[in-house]
Amino acid sequence: MAVKMRLRRMGQKKAPFYRIVVADSRSPRDGRFIEEVGYYDPTKDPSVIKINEELAKKWLATGAQPTETVAKLLKIAGIEK
Amino acid sequence: MKQAETGQNGIKRYKDKSVKKKYLTAHLFSCMIAKVNEMEKIVRQTLLYDFYGELLNSHQRKLYEDAVFGDLSLSEIAQEEGISRQGVHDLIRRCDRLMEEYEEKLHLIRKFSETKERVERIRRLALEGRKESFAEIAELSDQILQTL
Repeated sequence: MAVKMRLRRMGQKKAPFYRIVVADSRSPRDGRFIEEVGYYDPTKDPSVIKINEELAKKWLATGAQPTETVAKLLKIAGIEK
Repeated sequence: MKQAETGQNGIKRYKDKSVKKKYLTAHLFSCMIAKVNEMEKIVRQTLLYDFYGELLNSHQRKLYEDAVFGDLSLSEIAQEEGISRQGVHDLIRRCDRLMEEYEEKLHLIRKFSETKERVERIRRLALEGRKESFAEIAELSDQILQTL
């Protein structure tokens, strides 16, 4: 199964934060996801990026494709395949 | 007279009114967006949508939400909608530009973040409870009242 690692917006109006989730790539619009691997919270100063490294690496190794923005977060967090 | 002032995110803002119109053209806007890094871009788009999303039509809203809240790629959205990738790209860009124009005129996001910062500062000072901070609290309150 092709999976993607993408952001999902959470949080109240005007106070966004984003979950980093692993989801099936074939139905990108439905809200389901397989696993949450971390979050990105820009409401804090400085922004908080929290990623479960073990999980993220596991998914990357099994071929999960991160979106452009998630790839950027992974890079900031220092997580490589 | 062009008087440039570097604002948030290092974006140059032109104070002189005669230049302002130029600043809002599609070309200059895309230059501006390109300067902001990818993470700040998605946060900016989310805020734009939170403040001005209701001014878009329902089709624009749907696609913008897919792109910004759902982090779908242009080609994924194109596939879901049965339109071209270029079409999605243009639509998202147009929404960005529209909402940046609203912000340029109404400053709702700027006022919101300034007020939020000031209130947070007042809160911290109040919790510390030091008498010397009262003057600063009064000053911050005045600033908030002025932006209302």
